[in-house]
Amino acid sequence: MSAGGNIYKPLKAKLVEVIDESPLIKTFVLIPEKEFSFGTGQFIELSVDGIGEAPFTPSSSPHVKDKLEVTVMKTGYVTEIMHNLKPGAYMGIRGPYGRGYPVEVFHGKEVLILGGGCGLAPIRSLLYALEHIKDNLDKVVLCYGSKTPSDCIYKPLFSRLNSIEKFEAYRTVDKAEEGWNESVGVVTTLLNKVKVNLGNSLAVVCGPPIMMKFGTIRLLEMGYRDDQIYLSMEKNMSCGLGKCGHCMMGEFFVCKDGPVFTYNELRNTPDIWK
Amino acid sequence: MKLEINDLKAIRFFEGFTSEQLKTTLNMSSIREFKVKEILFEQYDELSEVYILLQGSLSLGISLAKEKRIHLGTIEEGQLFSWSAVFPPYISTAWVMALTPAKVISIDAKKLNTEIEKDCDFGFKAMSKIAQTISHRLSDTRFQLMNQMML
Repeated sequence: MSAGGNIYKPLKAKLVEVIDESPLIKTFVLIPEKEFSFGTGQFIELSVDGIGEAPFTPSSSPHVKDKLEVTVMKTGYVTEIMHNLKPGAYMGIRGPYGRGYPVEVFHGKEVLILGGGCGLAPIRSLLYALEHIKDNLDKVVLCYGSKTPSDCIYKPLFSRLNSIEKFEAYRTVDKAEEGWNESVGVVTTLLNKVKVNLGNSLAVVCGPPIMMKFGTIRLLEMGYRDDQIYLSMEKNMSCGLGKCGHCMMGEFFVCKDGPVFTYNELRNTPDIWK
Repeated sequence: MKLEINDLKAIRFFEGFTSEQLKTTLNMSSIREFKVKEILFEQYDELSEVYILLQGSLSLGISLAKEKRIHLGTIEEGQLFSWSAVFPPYISTAWVMALTPAKVISIDAKKLNTEIEKDCDFGFKAMSKIAQTISHRLSDTRFQLMNQMML
Protein backbone atom coordinates (compact mmCIF):
# COMPACT_ATOMS: atom_id res chain seq x y z
CA MET A 1 0.00 0.00 0.00
CA SER A 2 1.87 3.06 -1.22
CA ALA A 3 0.75 6.66 -1.01
CA GLY A 4 -2.04 7.92 -3.25
CA GLY A 5 -2.31 4.75 -5.35
CA ASN A 6 1.04 5.50 -7.02
CA ILE A 7 3.10 2.32 -6.70
CA TYR A 8 6.36 4.27 -6.85
CA LYS A 9 5.42 6.91 -4.26
CA PRO A 10 6.41 6.02 -0.71
CA LEU A 11 4.10 6.30 2.27
CA LYS A 12 5.53 8.61 4.93
CA ALA A 13 6.34 6.99 8.28
CA LYS A 14 7.68 8.57 11.48
CA LEU A 15 10.58 6.87 13.21
CA VAL A 16 9.59 6.60 16.87
CA GLU A 17 12.24 4.27 18.27
CA VAL A 18 15.58 2.76 17.28
CA ILE A 19 16.52 -0.49 19.01
CA ASP A 20 20.16 -1.62 19.00
CA GLU A 21 20.03 -5.36 18.32
CA SER A 22 23.75 -6.03 17.74
CA PRO A 23 26.79 -3.96 16.76
CA LEU A 24 25.66 -3.97 13.11
CA ILE A 25 21.91 -4.41 13.37
CA LYS A 26 19.17 -1.99 14.49
CA THR A 27 15.40 -2.26 14.54
CA PHE A 28 13.45 0.81 13.42
CA VAL A 29 9.98 1.28 14.90
CA LEU A 30 7.86 3.29 12.47
CA ILE A 31 4.40 4.81 12.64
CA PRO A 32 3.04 5.11 9.07
CA GLU A 33 0.84 8.13 8.38
CA LYS A 34 -1.98 5.70 7.59
CA GLU A 35 -2.57 2.01 8.37
CA PHE A 36 -0.18 -0.30 6.58
CA SER A 37 -0.99 -3.96 5.89
CA PHE A 38 1.41 -6.70 4.84
CA GLY A 39 1.54 -10.48 4.81
CA THR A 40 4.29 -12.13 6.85
CA GLY A 41 7.30 -12.75 4.61
CA GLN A 42 6.38 -10.01 2.12
CA PHE A 43 8.91 -7.21 1.79
CA ILE A 44 8.86 -3.42 1.58
CA GLU A 45 11.18 -0.80 0.14
CA LEU A 46 12.30 1.47 2.96
CA SER A 47 13.67 4.86 1.93
CA VAL A 48 15.42 7.92 3.28
CA ASP A 49 14.54 11.12 1.38
CA GLY A 50 17.26 12.18 -0.99
CA ILE A 51 19.44 9.18 -0.19
CA GLY A 52 17.87 6.04 -1.55
CA GLU A 53 15.90 2.94 -0.69
CA ALA A 54 16.54 -0.70 0.13
CA PRO A 55 14.36 -3.81 0.46
CA PHE A 56 13.55 -5.27 3.89
CA THR A 57 11.06 -7.77 5.22
CA PRO A 58 9.22 -6.31 8.23
CA SER A 59 10.03 -8.05 11.49
CA SER A 60 6.81 -7.06 13.26
CA SER A 61 3.45 -8.78 13.48
CA PRO A 62 1.35 -8.67 10.31
CA HIS A 63 -1.66 -8.23 12.60
CA VAL A 64 -0.48 -4.79 13.76
CA LYS A 65 -1.43 -2.18 11.16
CA ASP A 66 -0.52 1.10 12.86
CA LYS A 67 3.09 0.31 13.67
CA LEU A 68 5.82 -1.35 11.64
CA GLU A 69 9.19 -2.68 12.74
CA VAL A 70 12.02 -3.10 10.27
CA THR A 71 15.37 -4.61 11.20
CA VAL A 72 18.29 -3.24 9.23
CA MET A 73 21.85 -4.53 9.03
CA LYS A 74 24.50 -1.94 8.21
CA THR A 75 25.93 -3.18 4.93
CA GLY A 76 26.32 -0.14 2.65
CA TYR A 77 25.65 3.54 1.98
CA VAL A 78 21.85 3.63 2.46
CA THR A 79 21.81 1.38 5.50
CA GLU A 80 24.62 3.38 7.11
CA ILE A 81 22.55 6.58 6.72
CA MET A 82 19.56 4.71 8.18
CA HIS A 83 21.65 3.66 11.19
CA ASN A 84 22.40 7.33 11.90
CA LEU A 85 18.72 8.33 11.97
CA LYS A 86 17.22 9.39 15.30
CA PRO A 87 13.63 9.11 16.56
CA GLY A 88 11.54 11.89 15.07
CA ALA A 89 12.99 11.42 11.58
CA TYR A 90 10.75 10.45 8.65
CA MET A 91 11.26 7.50 6.33
CA GLY A 92 9.34 6.22 3.30
CA ILE A 93 7.65 2.84 2.84
CA ARG A 94 6.79 1.28 -0.50
CA GLY A 95 4.98 -2.01 -0.75
CA PRO A 96 4.28 -4.61 0.46
CA TYR A 97 5.60 -6.69 -2.37
CA GLY A 98 5.95 -10.31 -3.34
CA ARG A 99 4.70 -13.59 -1.98
CA GLY A 100 5.15 -14.19 1.74
CA TYR A 101 4.75 -17.30 3.89
CA PRO A 102 1.57 -19.29 3.15
CA VAL A 103 0.41 -19.27 6.77
CA GLU A 104 -2.86 -21.00 5.83
CA VAL A 105 -0.82 -24.05 4.71
CA PHE A 106 0.77 -24.24 8.19
CA HIS A 107 -2.56 -25.00 9.90
CA GLY A 108 -2.45 -28.33 11.75
CA LYS A 109 1.27 -28.74 11.10
CA GLU A 110 4.55 -28.80 12.96
CA VAL A 111 6.73 -25.94 11.77
CA LEU A 112 10.50 -26.22 12.03
CA ILE A 113 12.24 -22.89 11.48
CA LEU A 114 15.93 -22.58 10.76
CA GLY A 115 17.34 -19.08 11.00
CA GLY A 116 20.71 -17.43 10.84
CA GLY A 117 22.00 -13.93 11.52
CA CYS A 118 19.72 -11.16 10.30
CA GLY A 119 17.47 -13.82 8.73
CA LEU A 120 15.66 -13.85 12.05
CA ALA A 121 13.89 -10.61 11.01
CA PRO A 122 11.36 -12.16 8.61
CA ILE A 123 11.17 -15.16 10.93
CA ARG A 124 10.14 -12.99 13.88
CA SER A 125 7.22 -11.70 11.85
CA LEU A 126 6.33 -15.30 10.94
CA LEU A 127 6.56 -16.32 14.61
CA TYR A 128 4.07 -13.58 15.53
CA ALA A 129 1.76 -14.83 12.78
CA LEU A 130 2.11 -18.44 14.01
CA GLU A 131 1.50 -17.38 17.61
CA HIS A 132 -1.74 -15.85 16.37
CA ILE A 133 -2.90 -19.28 15.10
CA LYS A 134 -1.16 -21.44 17.71
CA ASP A 135 -4.37 -23.28 18.61
CA ASN A 136 -4.36 -24.65 15.05
CA LEU A 137 -0.72 -25.71 15.08
CA ASP A 138 0.94 -28.87 16.29
CA LYS A 139 4.29 -27.42 17.29
CA VAL A 140 6.72 -24.64 16.33
CA VAL A 141 10.46 -25.15 16.74
CA LEU A 142 12.97 -22.37 16.12
CA CYS A 143 16.67 -23.16 15.66
CA TYR A 144 18.75 -20.01 15.36
CA GLY A 145 22.46 -19.44 14.88
CA SER A 146 24.59 -16.33 15.05
CA LYS A 147 28.34 -15.74 14.94
CA THR A 148 28.68 -14.70 18.59
CA PRO A 149 26.27 -14.07 21.49
CA SER A 150 26.61 -10.30 20.82
CA ASP A 151 25.47 -10.86 17.22
CA CYS A 152 22.32 -12.63 18.37
CA ILE A 153 19.35 -10.35 17.68
CA TYR A 154 15.99 -10.08 19.52
CA LYS A 155 17.53 -11.49 22.70
CA PRO A 156 14.29 -11.39 24.76
CA LEU A 157 12.44 -13.31 22.01
CA PHE A 158 13.89 -16.70 22.98
CA SER A 159 12.76 -16.85 26.59
CA ARG A 160 9.36 -15.51 25.51
CA LEU A 161 8.98 -18.24 22.85
CA ASN A 162 9.98 -20.95 25.31
CA SER A 163 7.21 -19.76 27.63
CA ILE A 164 4.55 -20.16 24.93
CA GLU A 165 2.79 -23.50 24.77
CA LYS A 166 3.76 -25.53 21.63
CA PHE A 167 6.80 -23.30 20.96
CA GLU A 168 10.45 -24.33 21.43
CA ALA A 169 13.46 -22.13 20.68
CA TYR A 170 17.14 -23.07 20.56
CA ARG A 171 20.17 -20.89 19.93
CA THR A 172 23.73 -21.59 18.98
CA VAL A 173 26.75 -19.44 18.25
CA ASP A 174 29.84 -20.08 16.13
CA LYS A 175 32.06 -18.66 18.84
CA ALA A 176 31.05 -18.48 22.50
CA GLU A 177 31.83 -15.60 24.85
CA GLU A 178 32.14 -15.55 28.64
CA GLY A 179 28.83 -16.47 30.28
CA TRP A 180 27.30 -18.23 27.25
CA ASN A 181 25.78 -21.53 28.37
CA GLU A 182 23.82 -22.54 25.29
CA SER A 183 25.00 -24.48 22.24
CA VAL A 184 28.14 -23.77 20.27
CA GLY A 185 28.49 -24.77 16.61
CA VAL A 186 26.73 -24.14 13.32
CA VAL A 187 22.95 -23.98 13.35
CA THR A 188 22.53 -27.41 11.73
CA THR A 189 23.95 -29.04 14.89
CA LEU A 190 20.78 -27.95 16.71
CA LEU A 191 18.79 -30.27 14.47
CA ASN A 192 20.34 -33.19 16.35
CA LYS A 193 18.11 -32.44 19.32
CA VAL A 194 14.91 -31.66 17.46
CA LYS A 195 12.30 -34.38 17.17
CA VAL A 196 10.02 -34.02 14.16
CA ASN A 197 7.03 -35.87 12.83
CA LEU A 198 8.09 -35.75 9.18
CA GLY A 199 4.68 -36.67 7.79
CA ASN A 200 3.13 -33.57 9.34
CA SER A 201 6.00 -31.12 9.32
CA LEU A 202 7.00 -28.11 7.26
CA ALA A 203 10.34 -26.36 7.43
CA VAL A 204 11.26 -22.73 6.90
CA VAL A 205 14.81 -21.55 6.23
CA CYS A 206 15.99 -17.95 6.26
CA GLY A 207 19.48 -16.61 6.66
CA PRO A 208 22.77 -16.05 4.85
CA PRO A 209 23.20 -18.11 1.64
CA ILE A 210 25.74 -20.52 3.17
CA MET A 211 23.45 -21.25 6.07
CA MET A 212 20.48 -21.74 3.74
CA LYS A 213 22.46 -24.17 1.61
CA PHE A 214 23.69 -26.36 4.47
CA GLY A 215 20.37 -26.03 6.31
CA THR A 216 18.39 -27.20 3.30
CA ILE A 217 20.76 -30.11 2.65
CA ARG A 218 20.39 -31.26 6.28
CA LEU A 219 16.59 -30.99 6.11
CA LEU A 220 16.58 -33.11 2.95
CA GLU A 221 18.80 -35.66 4.73
CA MET A 222 16.34 -35.69 7.63
CA GLY A 223 13.67 -36.77 5.13
CA TYR A 224 11.87 -33.52 4.33
CA ARG A 225 10.49 -33.47 0.80
CA ASP A 226 11.36 -30.56 -1.54
CA ASP A 227 7.84 -29.17 -1.23
CA GLN A 228 7.96 -29.25 2.60
CA ILE A 229 10.82 -26.73 2.71
CA TYR A 230 10.13 -22.99 2.41
CA LEU A 231 13.06 -20.72 1.59
CA SER A 232 13.03 -16.97 2.06
CA MET A 233 15.31 -15.67 -0.70
CA GLU A 234 16.64 -12.21 -0.04
CA LYS A 235 18.23 -11.28 -3.37
CA ASN A 236 19.04 -7.83 -4.76
CA MET A 237 15.46 -6.65 -4.98
CA SER A 238 15.22 -3.14 -6.37
CA CYS A 239 12.00 -2.03 -8.05
CA GLY A 240 9.86 -4.56 -6.19
CA LEU A 241 7.61 -4.88 -9.22
CA GLY A 242 9.32 -7.40 -11.46
CA LYS A 243 10.42 -4.72 -13.90
CA CYS A 244 14.11 -3.96 -13.35
CA GLY A 245 15.43 -7.53 -13.35
CA HIS A 246 17.92 -7.00 -10.51
CA CYS A 247 16.56 -9.94 -8.53
CA MET A 248 16.14 -12.46 -11.36
CA MET A 249 16.95 -15.99 -10.37
CA GLY A 250 16.49 -18.43 -13.24
CA GLU A 251 12.94 -17.95 -14.46
CA PHE A 252 11.82 -16.14 -11.30
CA PHE A 253 11.70 -12.52 -10.20
CA VAL A 254 12.40 -12.87 -6.46
CA CYS A 255 10.55 -9.59 -5.78
CA LYS A 256 7.38 -10.70 -7.53
CA ASP A 257 7.34 -14.51 -7.49
CA GLY A 258 8.99 -14.71 -4.04
CA PRO A 259 10.72 -13.89 -1.80
CA VAL A 260 9.27 -17.08 -0.27
CA PHE A 261 9.60 -20.18 -2.45
CA THR A 262 9.45 -23.90 -1.80
CA TYR A 263 12.71 -25.71 -2.47
CA ASN A 264 10.73 -27.70 -5.02
CA GLU A 265 10.25 -24.53 -7.10
CA LEU A 266 13.93 -23.56 -6.96
CA ARG A 267 15.81 -26.84 -6.93
CA ASN A 268 16.73 -26.68 -10.63
CA THR A 269 17.59 -22.99 -10.59
CA PRO A 270 21.31 -22.42 -11.11
CA ASP A 271 23.27 -20.65 -8.35
CA ILE A 272 20.39 -20.43 -5.91
CA TRP A 273 22.76 -20.16 -2.95
CA LYS A 274 24.85 -17.30 -4.36
CA MET B 1 21.22 -45.58 37.05
CA LYS B 2 20.70 -48.78 35.09
CA LEU B 3 20.40 -48.60 31.34
CA GLU B 4 17.02 -49.85 30.08
CA ILE B 5 15.89 -50.84 26.61
CA ASN B 6 13.49 -47.88 26.60
CA ASP B 7 16.46 -45.52 27.00
CA LEU B 8 17.83 -46.90 23.72
CA LYS B 9 14.44 -46.77 21.99
CA ALA B 10 14.19 -43.05 22.74
CA ILE B 11 17.43 -42.30 20.89
CA ARG B 12 17.31 -41.42 17.18
CA PHE B 13 20.48 -43.44 16.52
CA PHE B 14 18.57 -46.64 17.30
CA GLU B 15 15.55 -45.91 15.09
CA GLY B 16 14.96 -48.98 12.90
CA PHE B 17 16.74 -51.42 15.23
CA THR B 18 14.69 -54.53 16.13
CA SER B 19 13.96 -55.40 19.79
CA GLU B 20 16.50 -58.20 19.52
CA GLN B 21 19.16 -55.83 18.19
CA LEU B 22 18.40 -53.34 20.97
CA LYS B 23 18.81 -56.15 23.54
CA THR B 24 22.17 -57.03 21.99
CA THR B 25 23.24 -53.38 22.20
CA LEU B 26 22.03 -53.16 25.80
CA ASN B 27 24.24 -56.09 26.73
CA MET B 28 27.36 -54.27 25.54
CA SER B 29 26.40 -50.89 27.00
CA SER B 30 26.44 -49.09 30.33
CA ILE B 31 25.84 -45.61 31.64
CA ARG B 32 28.76 -43.42 32.62
CA GLU B 33 28.53 -40.15 34.48
CA PHE B 34 30.87 -37.18 34.22
CA LYS B 35 31.30 -34.09 36.36
CA VAL B 36 31.55 -30.52 35.11
CA LYS B 37 34.89 -29.89 33.34
CA GLU B 38 35.77 -33.58 33.45
CA ILE B 39 37.56 -34.69 30.29
CA LEU B 40 35.88 -37.73 28.73
CA PHE B 41 38.87 -38.27 26.47
CA GLU B 42 41.73 -36.32 25.00
CA GLN B 43 42.69 -35.89 21.37
CA TYR B 44 44.99 -38.79 20.30
CA ASP B 45 43.75 -41.03 23.15
CA GLU B 46 43.19 -44.65 22.22
CA LEU B 47 39.43 -45.22 22.39
CA SER B 48 37.59 -48.38 23.34
CA GLU B 49 34.07 -47.02 23.82
CA VAL B 50 31.53 -45.33 21.56
CA TYR B 51 29.40 -42.79 23.40
CA ILE B 52 25.91 -41.37 23.01
CA LEU B 53 25.00 -38.36 25.14
CA LEU B 54 21.93 -39.05 27.27
CA GLN B 55 21.81 -35.94 29.47
CA GLY B 56 23.81 -32.79 29.82
CA SER B 57 26.05 -30.80 27.58
CA LEU B 58 29.51 -31.61 26.25
CA SER B 59 32.12 -29.59 24.47
CA LEU B 60 34.04 -31.05 21.53
CA GLY B 61 37.29 -29.53 20.33
CA ILE B 62 40.76 -29.98 19.01
CA SER B 63 44.12 -29.11 20.47
CA LEU B 64 46.80 -27.19 18.67
CA ALA B 65 50.43 -26.76 19.57
CA LYS B 66 51.28 -25.35 23.00
CA GLU B 67 48.28 -27.06 24.60
CA LYS B 68 45.89 -24.55 23.07
CA ARG B 69 42.37 -25.97 23.16
CA ILE B 70 40.02 -24.92 20.34
CA HIS B 71 36.36 -25.39 21.17
CA LEU B 72 34.56 -26.49 17.98
CA GLY B 73 31.05 -27.03 19.24
CA THR B 74 28.71 -28.66 21.69
CA ILE B 75 27.42 -32.20 21.53
CA GLU B 76 23.65 -32.36 21.84
CA GLU B 77 21.60 -34.97 23.70
CA GLY B 78 21.10 -38.09 21.59
CA GLN B 79 24.24 -37.43 19.54
CA LEU B 80 26.85 -40.16 18.99
CA PHE B 81 30.52 -39.32 19.44
CA SER B 82 33.90 -41.04 19.83
CA TRP B 83 33.21 -42.99 16.64
CA SER B 84 36.98 -43.41 16.22
CA ALA B 85 36.66 -46.30 18.69
CA VAL B 86 35.14 -48.39 15.88
CA PHE B 87 37.80 -47.79 13.21
CA PRO B 88 41.53 -48.54 13.26
CA PRO B 89 43.79 -47.08 14.57
CA TYR B 90 41.11 -46.30 17.25
CA ILE B 91 42.69 -42.93 17.99
CA SER B 92 40.57 -39.97 18.94
CA THR B 93 40.55 -37.03 16.51
CA ALA B 94 39.20 -34.58 19.13
CA TRP B 95 38.81 -34.04 22.85
CA VAL B 96 35.49 -33.98 24.71
CA MET B 97 34.82 -32.25 28.03
CA ALA B 98 31.67 -32.06 30.17
CA LEU B 99 30.17 -28.55 30.33
CA THR B 100 27.47 -29.68 32.76
CA PRO B 101 27.05 -32.91 34.74
CA ALA B 102 26.58 -35.43 31.96
CA LYS B 103 25.29 -38.97 31.51
CA VAL B 104 26.40 -40.94 28.49
CA ILE B 105 25.69 -44.37 27.11
CA SER B 106 29.00 -46.14 26.71
CA ILE B 107 29.09 -48.96 24.14
CA ASP B 108 31.99 -51.40 24.18
CA ALA B 109 33.56 -50.84 20.75
CA LYS B 110 35.18 -54.29 20.48
CA LYS B 111 31.88 -56.04 21.21
CA LEU B 112 30.11 -53.66 18.81
CA ASN B 113 32.56 -54.50 16.01
CA THR B 114 32.19 -58.23 16.69
CA GLU B 115 28.39 -57.91 16.42
CA ILE B 116 28.70 -55.81 13.24
CA GLU B 117 30.74 -58.62 11.65
CA LYS B 118 28.46 -61.37 12.96
CA ASP B 119 25.02 -59.89 12.14
CA CYS B 120 24.85 -58.20 8.71
CA ASP B 121 21.52 -56.51 9.38
CA PHE B 122 22.72 -55.10 12.70
CA GLY B 123 26.03 -54.18 11.07
CA PHE B 124 24.38 -52.34 8.19
CA LYS B 125 22.14 -50.32 10.51
CA ALA B 126 24.90 -49.47 12.96
CA MET B 127 27.39 -48.54 10.23
CA SER B 128 24.79 -46.46 8.34
CA LYS B 129 24.12 -44.44 11.50
CA ILE B 130 27.82 -44.04 12.29
CA ALA B 131 28.48 -42.97 8.68
CA GLN B 132 25.65 -40.44 8.97
CA THR B 133 27.21 -39.05 12.15
CA ILE B 134 30.56 -38.66 10.42
CA SER B 135 28.92 -37.15 7.33
CA HIS B 136 27.11 -34.56 9.50
CA ARG B 137 30.33 -33.73 11.32
CA LEU B 138 32.08 -33.23 7.97
CA SER B 139 29.24 -31.11 6.59
CA ASP B 140 29.09 -28.99 9.78
CA THR B 141 32.86 -28.47 9.60
CA ARG B 142 32.60 -27.30 5.98
CA PHE B 143 29.77 -24.97 6.97
CA GLN B 144 31.85 -23.64 9.87
CA LEU B 145 34.88 -23.20 7.62
CA MET B 146 32.90 -21.31 4.99
CA ASN B 147 31.45 -19.10 7.73
CA GLN B 148 34.96 -18.31 8.91
CA MET B 149 36.10 -17.53 5.37
CA MET B 150 33.23 -15.05 5.01
CA LEU B 151 34.28 -13.16 8.14
